[in-house]
Amino acid sequence: MSHALRADQFLLDADRTTWHDETLWFVREKRDRAVYAVPEFQALRELASQIKDHTLSRLDRYLQEFEAAAQANGVHVHWAADAAEHNAIILAIIRQQGATRIVKSKSMLTEECHLNPYLLQHGIEVVDTDLGERIIQFREEAPSHIVLPAIHLKKEDVGDTFHLHLGTEKGESDPQRLTEAARQHLRAKFLAGQVAISGVNFAVAETGGVVVCTNEGNADLGVNLAQVHIACMGIEKLIPRLTDLGVFTRLLARSATGQPVTTYTSHFTQPVAGKEMHVVIVDNGRTQQLGRPDFRASLKCIRCGACMNTCPVYRRSGGHSYDFTVPGPIGAILSPNIDMKKHASLPFASTLCGSCTDVCPVKIDIHTQLYKWRQVLGEANEIPASKKWSMKFMGRLLASARVYGLSGQFARKALRFLPHGLTHAASFNAWAVARELPEPPQQSFREWYQQQPKPVPQPPQPQVPA
Amino acid sequence: MSSASRTRILLAAQANKPAETLLPTVPDFGGEATAERFSAVLAGIGGTVVWLDGLGQLGSTLQQLFPEARNTASPLFAGTVPVDAGTPTEVLADIDLAVLTGEIGVAENGAIWLPEANMLHRALPTITQHLALVLDHRRIVATMHQAYAQLPGTGGYGTFVAGPSKTADIEQSLVIGAHGARSLVVLLY
Repeated sequence: MSHALRADQFLLDADRTTWHDETLWFVREKRDRAVYAVPEFQALRELASQIKDHTLSRLDRYLQEFEAAAQANGVHVHWAADAAEHNAIILAIIRQQGATRIVKSKSMLTEECHLNPYLLQHGIEVVDTDLGERIIQFREEAPSHIVLPAIHLKKEDVGDTFHLHLGTEKGESDPQRLTEAARQHLRAKFLAGQVAISGVNFAVAETGGVVVCTNEGNADLGVNLAQVHIACMGIEKLIPRLTDLGVFTRLLARSATGQPVTTYTSHFTQPVAGKEMHVVIVDNGRTQQLGRPDFRASLKCIRCGACMNTCPVYRRSGGHSYDFTVPGPIGAILSPNIDMKKHASLPFASTLCGSCTDVCPVKIDIHTQLYKWRQVLGEANEIPASKKWSMKFMGRLLASARVYGLSGQFARKALRFLPHGLTHAASFNAWAVARELPEPPQQSFREWYQQQPKPVPQPPQPQVPA
Repeated sequence: MSSASRTRILLAAQANKPAETLLPTVPDFGGEATAERFSAVLAGIGGTVVWLDGLGQLGSTLQQLFPEARNTASPLFAGTVPVDAGTPTEVLADIDLAVLTGEIGVAENGAIWLPEANMLHRALPTITQHLALVLDHRRIVATMHQAYAQLPGTGGYGTFVAGPSKTADIEQSLVIGAHGARSLVVLLY
């Protein structure tokens, strides 16, 4: 199913769509206020972009530097070529511990690898501890946003879910009381947790440590109470130096939610004596993306979600319409690298307005990459026949002044007597589903111009010597 | 096979990486390193600043701020619960108030660097119901750049704490007190 068809489902509830649109725009406005308060914000974006470019240009070296430093800290480092290997490594660690109680803080990578269903198949239940993630886990849904996983839900939906799973009063929809119920429920899970899985926001090559940013404190609480910490990271999470965090911590939360910084910016470097820390370094298509010059900049992403909050298509189609772990503009340039056929419609889920590129804290040229993926998809014959042939037809038509002029003449006449049901037929004119065609003019600009009196040619002015 | 994957990933990264670019030098952008700015930003993210007239006032100030705290843990005074790295989870879970020493305050975002050495137990700053951090106002810097430049290292574990634990995962409504401490008071002296 294409993005457009899934978006149709989302759009069935007009009030909710409007709410979703306005709520995310509100987050974008908060981002703007936070950004404008930092005079050097644009310089920081440029620095972040350069640091990430540099890191990718020496990625193999930094990966080894990180590994050596982490091992020197007593951390177990694992390498996973793909999602299956990532999942198998984690299962093996859990089994080695004989653990059954697993808590997990937010990690888009484990979502990408479908870790939870895999572990469930092997008899191990994982409790997602981020509030938004726990809500959607109860509902057996995927996150619809990388920072605000339950942004597609209203508080009444959460109330119903908690009534069902946590026994809160029926009809309870007060966010304060619902959050308190989740706090009590999850506290028991934290206290009992044996293995804690976390994502990684930044991995510092120099120190071998990983940095995890949360507002709720769920990563810290889970990791620091469990016997074993497993941190899962894509290879692109690396940064060279500890001081580079100065740049990224100033950009991340401001870009994401408009906060000056996340509540907890936690640096996990060594396990406590007697406990274990593991880092799983995952490729899963990333080195392939690194080899695509047009698209490798997508690996600079720090997962702030600013491109989603600002995107006019994301805001009005919802995260689930992308059917990919990372939705929105950045997801639309990451997903075709994973499965071009399945995600072929995503680079078209954009107006190419460029707002995503404008807000990206690491200056990824997102809308340019969306355009380039369209070319790749066209070449690979992964676009629908109707789009392919109409584009070919329009290309021919617009390339010839004579054909263009004749078509214009024809259309101006034909549109006067063709029935509305034909010109606006949804089956072949998706553009007109919610729009009216303009009134056809009597003549084209060219025809009008030719009727105007010819201007008298002026003699050339004599050149004045300098 | 993890080691085969290691080789594969490193070889692919080496083969596919672009031409090397320079690692930029990050300048110190300056900024306002004042207690006023720090306090205003912290208030904006749900924290509170209380001035102490010297550390001698700590006990009486805490008594005023947290009259109902029964189980307290702190390296700064004799709390009711002794805590160290080996304290069992169920004991930690009952702590109402932890009073710890922050090392560096960041004026631009209200964050305070809290290294493991100051925590008694790694989980204490998040498992406690309420957290108070004592901070020397002369240790306030303007930005995160300056904070990282001053860190001798991050130790085994350390965290920048900026306000109480919070969430906006239900309809973007801000709720203070998600999983970690329900409140944060910074005691400046």
